[in-house]
Amino acid sequence: MRRRPGIGGLQNAAAARDQYRLLGENVAKLRTDLMKEQLATFRSQLEDFARKHKNDIRKNPAFRSQFHEMCAKVGVDPLASNKGFWAELLGIGDFYYELGVQIVDICLATRPHNGGLISLEELCKLLGQRRKGTREAISQDDCLRAISKLKVLGNGFEVISLGKKKLVRSVPTELNKDHNEILELAQGQGFVTVDEVQRRLSWSSGRATDALETLLEEGLAMIDNGHKDGRSRYWFPCVSSVSSYSASDAI
Amino acid sequence: MQTLGEFKLPHFFNYPPYFTLQPVKDTREKQIQLWKELILEYCRTHKIFVVGLDEDFPLFSNQVIERSLSNEAREAFLSALVSEGRAEWLDKSHRKCLLLWHRIPDWADLMISFVRDNGLEDSVMTVEEIRSGVESRGTELHGMDRTILMRALKHLEHRGKLAIFKGTSADDEGIKFSI
Repeated sequence: MRRRPGIGGLQNAAAARDQYRLLGENVAKLRTDLMKEQLATFRSQLEDFARKHKNDIRKNPAFRSQFHEMCAKVGVDPLASNKGFWAELLGIGDFYYELGVQIVDICLATRPHNGGLISLEELCKLLGQRRKGTREAISQDDCLRAISKLKVLGNGFEVISLGKKKLVRSVPTELNKDHNEILELAQGQGFVTVDEVQRRLSWSSGRATDALETLLEEGLAMIDNGHKDGRSRYWFPCVSSVSSYSASDAI
Repeated sequence: MQTLGEFKLPHFFNYPPYFTLQPVKDTREKQIQLWKELILEYCRTHKIFVVGLDEDFPLFSNQVIERSLSNEAREAFLSALVSEGRAEWLDKSHRKCLLLWHRIPDWADLMISFVRDNGLEDSVMTVEEIRSGVESRGTELHGMDRTILMRALKHLEHRGKLAIFKGTSADDEGIKFSI
Protein backbone atom coordinates (compact mmCIF):
# COMPACT_ATOMS: atom_id res chain seq x y z
CA MET A 1 0.00 0.00 0.00
CA ARG A 2 1.44 3.19 -1.03
CA ARG A 3 2.28 5.57 1.79
CA ARG A 4 0.69 8.96 1.58
CA PRO A 5 1.85 11.88 3.67
CA GLY A 6 -0.47 13.92 5.88
CA ILE A 7 -3.73 13.02 7.63
CA GLY A 8 -4.94 10.94 4.78
CA GLY A 9 -1.81 8.86 5.07
CA LEU A 10 -2.35 8.38 8.77
CA GLN A 11 -5.93 7.31 8.30
CA ASN A 12 -4.87 4.79 5.71
CA ALA A 13 -2.29 3.37 8.05
CA ALA A 14 -4.88 3.04 10.80
CA ALA A 15 -7.31 1.36 8.41
CA ALA A 16 -4.59 -0.97 7.27
CA ARG A 17 -3.74 -1.92 10.86
CA ASP A 18 -7.40 -2.62 11.55
CA GLN A 19 -7.66 -4.84 8.57
CA TYR A 20 -4.56 -6.76 9.52
CA ARG A 21 -5.93 -7.13 13.01
CA LEU A 22 -9.24 -8.46 11.73
CA LEU A 23 -7.43 -10.84 9.48
CA GLY A 24 -5.30 -11.96 12.38
CA GLU A 25 -8.38 -12.58 14.50
CA ASN A 26 -10.01 -14.50 11.71
CA VAL A 27 -6.97 -16.66 11.31
CA ALA A 28 -6.85 -17.28 15.04
CA LYS A 29 -10.55 -18.11 15.06
CA LEU A 30 -10.08 -20.41 12.13
CA ARG A 31 -7.28 -22.19 13.90
CA THR A 32 -9.32 -22.50 17.11
CA ASP A 33 -12.31 -23.77 15.18
CA LEU A 34 -10.11 -26.27 13.46
CA MET A 35 -8.64 -27.39 16.73
CA LYS A 36 -12.04 -27.65 18.33
CA GLU A 37 -13.20 -29.74 15.44
CA GLN A 38 -10.17 -31.96 15.70
CA LEU A 39 -10.67 -32.31 19.41
CA ALA A 40 -14.35 -33.09 18.94
CA THR A 41 -13.46 -35.71 16.37
CA PHE A 42 -10.85 -37.16 18.65
CA ARG A 43 -13.27 -37.18 21.56
CA SER A 44 -15.91 -38.97 19.59
CA GLN A 45 -13.34 -41.47 18.44
CA LEU A 46 -12.35 -41.94 22.05
CA GLU A 47 -15.98 -42.53 22.92
CA ASP A 48 -16.29 -45.10 20.14
CA PHE A 49 -13.16 -46.75 21.40
CA ALA A 50 -14.49 -46.82 24.94
CA ARG A 51 -17.78 -48.30 23.79
CA LYS A 52 -16.06 -51.03 21.83
CA HIS A 53 -13.59 -51.91 24.54
CA LYS A 54 -15.84 -51.39 27.53
CA ASN A 55 -15.23 -54.92 28.76
CA ASP A 56 -11.49 -54.73 28.42
CA ILE A 57 -11.47 -51.46 30.30
CA ARG A 58 -13.41 -53.00 33.14
CA LYS A 59 -11.51 -56.26 33.34
CA ASN A 60 -7.92 -55.39 32.51
CA PRO A 61 -6.00 -53.04 34.82
CA ALA A 62 -3.12 -52.43 32.41
CA PHE A 63 -5.50 -51.61 29.59
CA ARG A 64 -7.50 -49.38 31.92
CA SER A 65 -4.40 -47.50 32.95
CA GLN A 66 -3.44 -46.78 29.35
CA PHE A 67 -6.99 -45.73 28.62
CA HIS A 68 -6.75 -43.17 31.41
CA GLU A 69 -3.54 -41.80 29.93
CA MET A 70 -5.17 -41.44 26.55
CA CYS A 71 -8.07 -39.59 28.11
CA ALA A 72 -5.78 -37.32 30.03
CA LYS A 73 -3.99 -36.34 26.83
CA VAL A 74 -7.23 -35.15 25.32
CA GLY A 75 -8.29 -33.41 28.49
CA VAL A 76 -11.03 -35.90 29.25
CA ASP A 77 -11.47 -37.03 32.83
CA PRO A 78 -13.79 -40.05 32.96
CA LEU A 79 -13.98 -39.66 36.71
CA ALA A 80 -14.88 -35.98 36.72
CA SER A 81 -18.52 -36.54 37.33
CA ASN A 82 -20.92 -39.32 38.00
CA LYS A 83 -23.23 -38.19 35.26
CA GLY A 84 -22.80 -37.89 31.56
CA PHE A 85 -21.49 -40.12 28.87
CA TRP A 86 -18.53 -41.65 30.62
CA ALA A 87 -20.26 -42.54 33.82
CA GLU A 88 -23.27 -43.96 32.02
CA LEU A 89 -21.41 -45.91 29.40
CA LEU A 90 -18.58 -47.28 31.40
CA GLY A 91 -19.85 -46.92 34.91
CA ILE A 92 -16.27 -45.88 35.52
CA GLY A 93 -17.32 -43.26 38.02
CA ASP A 94 -19.14 -45.94 39.96
CA PHE A 95 -16.21 -48.27 39.66
CA TYR A 96 -13.80 -45.86 41.33
CA TYR A 97 -16.39 -44.66 43.79
CA GLU A 98 -16.96 -48.23 44.89
CA LEU A 99 -13.23 -48.78 45.08
CA GLY A 100 -12.85 -45.66 47.20
CA VAL A 101 -15.48 -46.89 49.64
CA GLN A 102 -13.76 -50.26 49.92
CA ILE A 103 -10.41 -48.59 50.46
CA VAL A 104 -11.78 -46.45 53.30
CA ASP A 105 -13.30 -49.57 54.78
CA ILE A 106 -10.06 -51.51 54.67
CA CYS A 107 -8.07 -48.63 56.12
CA LEU A 108 -10.51 -48.33 58.99
CA ALA A 109 -10.49 -52.07 59.62
CA THR A 110 -6.69 -52.32 59.67
CA ARG A 111 -6.13 -49.11 61.62
CA PRO A 112 -6.09 -50.80 65.07
CA HIS A 113 -3.29 -52.98 63.81
CA ASN A 114 -1.17 -50.57 61.77
CA GLY A 115 -2.03 -47.19 63.30
CA GLY A 116 -3.53 -45.78 60.11
CA LEU A 117 -0.64 -46.40 57.76
CA ILE A 118 -0.81 -49.23 55.24
CA SER A 119 1.46 -50.21 52.39
CA LEU A 120 -0.09 -49.74 48.95
CA GLU A 121 0.86 -53.30 48.15
CA GLU A 122 -1.00 -54.64 51.18
CA LEU A 123 -4.02 -52.43 50.47
CA CYS A 124 -4.19 -53.69 46.92
CA LYS A 125 -3.93 -57.29 48.07
CA LEU A 126 -6.72 -56.90 50.61
CA LEU A 127 -8.85 -55.19 47.96
CA GLY A 128 -8.26 -58.06 45.61
CA GLN A 129 -9.36 -60.53 48.26
CA ARG A 130 -12.49 -58.54 48.91
CA ARG A 131 -13.36 -58.33 45.26
CA LYS A 132 -12.70 -61.98 44.43
CA GLY A 133 -16.32 -62.46 43.42
CA THR A 134 -16.40 -59.67 40.87
CA ARG A 135 -13.53 -61.05 38.78
CA GLU A 136 -12.42 -57.48 38.06
CA ALA A 137 -8.71 -57.20 38.76
CA ILE A 138 -7.42 -54.12 40.59
CA SER A 139 -4.01 -52.59 40.02
CA GLN A 140 -2.04 -50.23 42.26
CA ASP A 141 -2.74 -47.58 39.65
CA ASP A 142 -6.47 -48.04 40.24
CA CYS A 143 -5.94 -47.67 43.98
CA LEU A 144 -4.02 -44.45 43.52
CA ARG A 145 -6.73 -43.00 41.28
CA ALA A 146 -9.46 -43.92 43.73
CA ILE A 147 -7.43 -42.40 46.58
CA SER A 148 -6.87 -39.17 44.67
CA LYS A 149 -10.66 -38.93 44.35
CA LEU A 150 -10.95 -39.57 48.07
CA LYS A 151 -8.57 -36.73 48.77
CA VAL A 152 -10.95 -34.36 47.06
CA LEU A 153 -13.53 -35.32 49.66
CA GLY A 154 -11.08 -34.28 52.34
CA ASN A 155 -10.90 -37.66 54.03
CA GLY A 156 -7.38 -37.04 55.19
CA PHE A 157 -5.97 -39.62 52.80
CA GLU A 158 -2.42 -39.19 51.66
CA VAL A 159 0.02 -41.30 49.72
CA ILE A 160 3.59 -41.30 51.04
CA SER A 161 6.58 -42.53 49.09
CA LEU A 162 9.14 -44.57 50.98
CA GLY A 163 12.00 -45.41 48.72
CA LYS A 164 10.50 -47.61 46.03
CA LYS A 165 7.32 -48.37 47.91
CA LYS A 166 4.24 -46.32 48.71
CA LEU A 167 2.25 -46.08 51.92
CA VAL A 168 -1.32 -44.90 52.26
CA ARG A 169 -2.02 -42.74 55.28
CA SER A 170 -5.60 -42.54 56.47
CA VAL A 171 -5.10 -40.63 59.71
CA PRO A 172 -4.09 -37.01 60.18
CA THR A 173 -0.84 -38.00 61.92
CA GLU A 174 1.92 -35.84 60.54
CA LEU A 175 5.10 -37.73 59.84
CA ASN A 176 8.30 -35.74 59.79
CA LYS A 177 11.48 -36.56 57.93
CA ASP A 178 12.98 -38.47 60.86
CA HIS A 179 9.92 -40.70 61.03
CA ASN A 180 9.99 -41.32 57.31
CA GLU A 181 13.62 -42.32 57.44
CA ILE A 182 12.93 -44.83 60.17
CA LEU A 183 10.02 -46.27 58.21
CA GLU A 184 12.22 -46.64 55.18
CA LEU A 185 14.86 -48.40 57.27
CA ALA A 186 12.20 -50.69 58.72
CA GLN A 187 11.22 -51.90 55.28
CA GLY A 188 14.23 -54.18 55.31
CA GLN A 189 13.24 -56.56 58.08
CA GLY A 190 9.93 -55.10 59.26
CA PHE A 191 11.57 -53.78 62.43
CA VAL A 192 14.46 -51.63 63.70
CA THR A 193 16.44 -51.39 66.92
CA VAL A 194 17.65 -48.16 68.54
CA ASP A 195 21.24 -49.19 67.80
CA GLU A 196 20.49 -49.84 64.16
CA VAL A 197 18.81 -46.44 63.74
CA GLN A 198 21.75 -44.69 65.38
CA ARG A 199 24.27 -46.56 63.32
CA ARG A 200 22.64 -46.50 59.91
CA LEU A 201 21.32 -42.95 60.04
CA SER A 202 24.15 -41.49 62.14
CA TRP A 203 21.84 -40.07 64.77
CA SER A 204 22.37 -39.52 68.46
CA SER A 205 20.73 -42.04 70.76
CA GLY A 206 18.37 -39.32 71.99
CA ARG A 207 17.18 -38.48 68.50
CA ALA A 208 16.62 -42.13 67.66
CA THR A 209 14.75 -42.88 70.87
CA ASP A 210 12.56 -39.78 70.55
CA ALA A 211 11.48 -40.63 67.04
CA LEU A 212 10.82 -44.26 67.87
CA GLU A 213 8.84 -43.37 70.98
CA THR A 214 6.67 -40.98 68.98
CA LEU A 215 5.96 -43.66 66.41
CA LEU A 216 5.07 -46.01 69.26
CA GLU A 217 2.71 -43.44 70.80
CA GLU A 218 1.02 -42.83 67.46
CA GLY A 219 0.25 -46.51 67.15
CA LEU A 220 2.44 -46.92 64.10
CA ALA A 221 4.96 -49.11 65.88
CA MET A 222 4.81 -52.00 68.32
CA ILE A 223 7.55 -52.94 70.74
CA ASP A 224 9.03 -56.42 70.99
CA ASN A 225 11.17 -57.34 74.00
CA GLY A 226 11.10 -61.07 73.50
CA HIS A 227 14.22 -61.70 71.47
CA LYS A 228 16.86 -63.72 73.26
CA ASP A 229 19.51 -61.06 72.55
CA GLY A 230 17.62 -58.81 74.95
CA ARG A 231 17.41 -55.89 72.53
CA SER A 232 14.14 -54.07 72.03
CA ARG A 233 12.79 -54.18 68.54
CA TYR A 234 10.32 -51.68 67.10
CA TRP A 235 8.07 -53.37 64.54
CA PHE A 236 6.07 -51.47 61.93
CA PRO A 237 2.91 -53.27 60.81
CA CYS A 238 2.49 -50.82 57.95
CA VAL A 239 5.59 -52.01 56.13
CA SER A 240 4.76 -55.69 56.40
CA SER A 241 2.05 -57.71 54.81
CA VAL A 242 -0.32 -59.40 57.25
CA SER A 243 0.15 -62.79 55.72
CA SER A 244 3.89 -62.51 55.78
CA TYR A 245 3.91 -63.00 59.53
CA SER A 246 5.14 -66.55 59.38
CA ALA A 247 8.56 -68.03 59.54
CA SER A 248 7.57 -70.58 56.96
CA ASP A 249 6.74 -69.71 53.40
CA ALA A 250 3.19 -70.95 53.61
CA ILE A 251 0.41 -68.73 52.27
CA MET B 1 -1.35 -70.39 57.84
CA GLN B 2 0.10 -71.88 60.97
CA THR B 3 -1.99 -74.41 62.81
CA LEU B 4 -1.90 -76.02 66.23
CA GLY B 5 -3.21 -79.42 65.34
CA GLU B 6 -6.39 -78.68 63.42
CA PHE B 7 -6.79 -75.24 64.94
CA LYS B 8 -6.08 -72.34 62.56
CA LEU B 9 -4.00 -69.70 64.30
CA PRO B 10 -4.70 -66.05 63.53
CA HIS B 11 -1.99 -64.01 61.79
CA PHE B 12 -1.14 -61.94 64.84
CA PHE B 13 0.10 -65.06 66.62
CA ASN B 14 3.10 -65.02 64.28
CA TYR B 15 3.92 -61.34 64.72
CA PRO B 16 6.58 -61.08 67.47
CA PRO B 17 5.50 -57.80 69.14
CA TYR B 18 2.13 -59.33 70.06
CA PHE B 19 4.00 -61.44 72.60
CA THR B 20 5.15 -58.31 74.44
CA LEU B 21 2.60 -56.49 76.56
CA GLN B 22 2.33 -53.14 74.75
CA PRO B 23 2.97 -49.97 76.75
CA VAL B 24 0.76 -47.68 74.66
CA LYS B 25 -2.83 -47.83 75.90
CA ASP B 26 -4.69 -48.02 72.58
CA THR B 27 -2.30 -50.58 71.17
CA ARG B 28 -2.46 -52.65 74.35
CA GLU B 29 -6.26 -52.62 74.30
CA LYS B 30 -6.29 -53.96 70.79
CA GLN B 31 -3.69 -56.56 71.72
CA ILE B 32 -5.68 -57.72 74.74
CA GLN B 33 -8.83 -57.97 72.63
CA LEU B 34 -7.10 -60.24 70.11
CA TRP B 35 -5.61 -62.48 72.76
CA LYS B 36 -8.90 -62.74 74.67
CA GLU B 37 -10.70 -63.95 71.56
CA LEU B 38 -7.94 -66.39 70.70
CA ILE B 39 -7.75 -67.92 74.17
CA LEU B 40 -11.52 -68.30 74.40
CA GLU B 41 -11.87 -69.80 70.94
CA TYR B 42 -8.96 -72.20 71.45
CA CYS B 43 -10.32 -73.40 74.77
CA ARG B 44 -13.81 -73.83 73.34
CA THR B 45 -12.51 -75.88 70.42
CA HIS B 46 -10.34 -78.08 72.60
CA LYS B 47 -12.77 -78.23 75.53
CA ILE B 48 -10.20 -76.79 77.89
CA PHE B 49 -11.77 -75.50 81.08
CA VAL B 50 -8.80 -74.61 83.24
CA VAL B 51 -5.64 -72.75 82.26
CA GLY B 52 -2.66 -72.65 84.60
CA LEU B 53 -0.41 -69.63 84.16
CA ASP B 54 2.70 -71.60 84.97
CA GLU B 55 1.84 -74.41 82.59
CA ASP B 56 2.92 -75.04 79.06
CA PHE B 57 -0.37 -73.85 77.63
CA PRO B 58 0.21 -74.02 73.84
CA LEU B 59 -0.87 -70.45 73.19
CA PHE B 60 1.58 -68.97 75.67
CA SER B 61 4.54 -69.44 73.36
CA ASN B 62 5.29 -69.72 69.68
CA GLN B 63 8.40 -71.80 68.90
CA VAL B 64 8.39 -70.75 65.28
CA ILE B 65 9.09 -67.10 66.06
CA GLU B 66 10.82 -67.88 69.35
CA ARG B 67 8.61 -65.78 71.56
CA SER B 68 6.80 -66.42 74.85
CA LEU B 69 4.28 -64.43 76.81
CA SER B 70 5.69 -63.02 80.03
CA ASN B 71 3.94 -63.78 83.29
CA GLU B 72 2.63 -60.23 83.34
CA ALA B 73 1.16 -60.62 79.87
CA ARG B 74 -0.49 -63.96 80.69
CA GLU B 75 -2.09 -62.47 83.75
CA ALA B 76 -3.17 -59.35 81.87
CA PHE B 77 -4.99 -61.32 79.18
CA LEU B 78 -6.69 -63.71 81.58
CA SER B 79 -7.64 -60.87 83.92
CA ALA B 80 -9.29 -59.17 81.00
CA LEU B 81 -11.36 -62.30 80.43
CA VAL B 82 -12.25 -62.36 84.12
CA SER B 83 -13.38 -58.74 84.00
CA GLU B 84 -15.60 -59.58 81.08
CA GLY B 85 -17.17 -62.47 82.96
CA ARG B 86 -15.70 -65.03 80.56
CA ALA B 87 -13.35 -66.52 83.17
CA GLU B 88 -12.80 -66.81 86.90
CA TRP B 89 -9.71 -67.06 89.05
CA LEU B 90 -9.65 -70.33 90.96
CA ASP B 91 -7.07 -69.11 93.45
CA LYS B 92 -6.12 -65.88 95.20
CA SER B 93 -2.65 -65.80 93.69
CA HIS B 94 -4.12 -65.84 90.17
CA ARG B 95 -2.23 -68.85 88.98
CA LYS B 96 -5.20 -70.92 87.80
CA CYS B 97 -8.08 -69.69 85.70
CA LEU B 98 -11.45 -71.26 84.92
CA LEU B 99 -12.56 -70.49 81.37
CA LEU B 100 -16.20 -69.77 80.68
CA TRP B 101 -16.27 -69.93 76.91
CA HIS B 102 -19.96 -70.52 77.51
CA ARG B 103 -21.35 -68.34 80.26
CA ILE B 104 -23.13 -70.10 83.12
CA PRO B 105 -26.63 -69.18 81.83
CA ASP B 106 -25.63 -70.55 78.42
CA TRP B 107 -24.54 -73.84 79.99
CA ALA B 108 -27.86 -73.86 81.83
CA ASP B 109 -29.73 -73.48 78.55
CA LEU B 110 -27.71 -76.33 77.07
CA MET B 111 -28.74 -78.40 80.05
CA ILE B 112 -32.41 -77.65 79.46
CA SER B 113 -32.12 -78.61 75.79
CA PHE B 114 -30.35 -81.81 76.79
CA VAL B 115 -33.11 -82.71 79.22
CA ARG B 116 -35.85 -82.00 76.70
CA ASP B 117 -34.06 -83.81 73.86
CA ASN B 118 -33.79 -86.94 75.97
CA GLY B 119 -37.22 -86.82 77.54
CA LEU B 120 -35.76 -86.48 81.03
CA GLU B 121 -38.18 -83.79 82.20
CA ASP B 122 -39.29 -85.58 85.33
CA SER B 123 -36.44 -87.95 85.94
CA VAL B 124 -33.55 -88.21 88.27
CA MET B 125 -29.89 -88.36 87.33
CA THR B 126 -26.59 -88.07 89.11
CA VAL B 127 -24.18 -85.29 88.31
CA GLU B 128 -21.64 -87.85 87.08
CA GLU B 129 -24.20 -89.37 84.77
CA ILE B 130 -24.82 -86.01 83.18
CA ARG B 131 -21.13 -85.49 82.63
CA SER B 132 -20.11 -88.92 81.44
CA GLY B 133 -23.25 -90.89 80.80
CA VAL B 134 -24.37 -92.32 77.49
CA GLU B 135 -27.03 -89.68 76.96
CA SER B 136 -24.63 -86.77 76.98
CA ARG B 137 -22.23 -88.29 74.49
CA GLY B 138 -21.95 -86.10 71.44
CA THR B 139 -23.25 -83.07 73.30
CA GLU B 140 -21.25 -80.25 74.78
CA LEU B 141 -22.16 -81.46 78.26
CA HIS B 142 -20.05 -84.54 77.88
CA GLY B 143 -16.75 -84.24 79.71
CA MET B 144 -17.80 -80.93 81.17
CA ASP B 145 -15.83 -79.41 84.00
CA ARG B 146 -17.48 -80.37 87.24
CA THR B 147 -17.24 -76.93 88.81
CA ILE B 148 -18.97 -75.33 85.87
CA LEU B 149 -21.59 -78.05 85.77
CA MET B 150 -22.43 -77.53 89.44
CA ARG B 151 -22.71 -73.81 88.88
CA ALA B 152 -25.05 -74.32 85.95
CA LEU B 153 -27.15 -76.73 87.98
CA LYS B 154 -27.35 -74.30 90.91
CA HIS B 155 -28.37 -71.59 88.45
CA LEU B 156 -31.24 -73.80 87.29
CA GLU B 157 -32.13 -74.70 90.86
CA HIS B 158 -32.54 -71.00 91.53
CA ARG B 159 -34.97 -70.82 88.64
CA GLY B 160 -36.87 -73.76 90.06
CA LYS B 161 -36.04 -76.04 87.15
CA LEU B 162 -34.50 -78.75 89.24
CA ALA B 163 -33.51 -79.82 92.72
CA ILE B 164 -30.10 -80.94 93.87
CA PHE B 165 -29.86 -83.54 96.62
CA LYS B 166 -27.27 -85.75 98.20
CA GLY B 167 -27.06 -89.03 96.34
CA THR B 168 -26.52 -92.60 97.51
CA SER B 169 -22.82 -92.41 96.78
CA ALA B 170 -20.87 -90.29 99.23
CA ASP B 171 -19.51 -87.79 96.78
CA ASP B 172 -22.01 -87.69 93.99
CA GLU B 173 -25.10 -85.55 94.01
CA GLY B 174 -28.41 -86.31 92.38
CA ILE B 175 -30.57 -84.06 90.26
CA LYS B 176 -34.35 -84.14 90.07
CA PHE B 177 -35.49 -82.27 87.00
CA SER B 178 -38.75 -80.41 86.88
CA ILE B 179 -38.38 -78.61 83.61
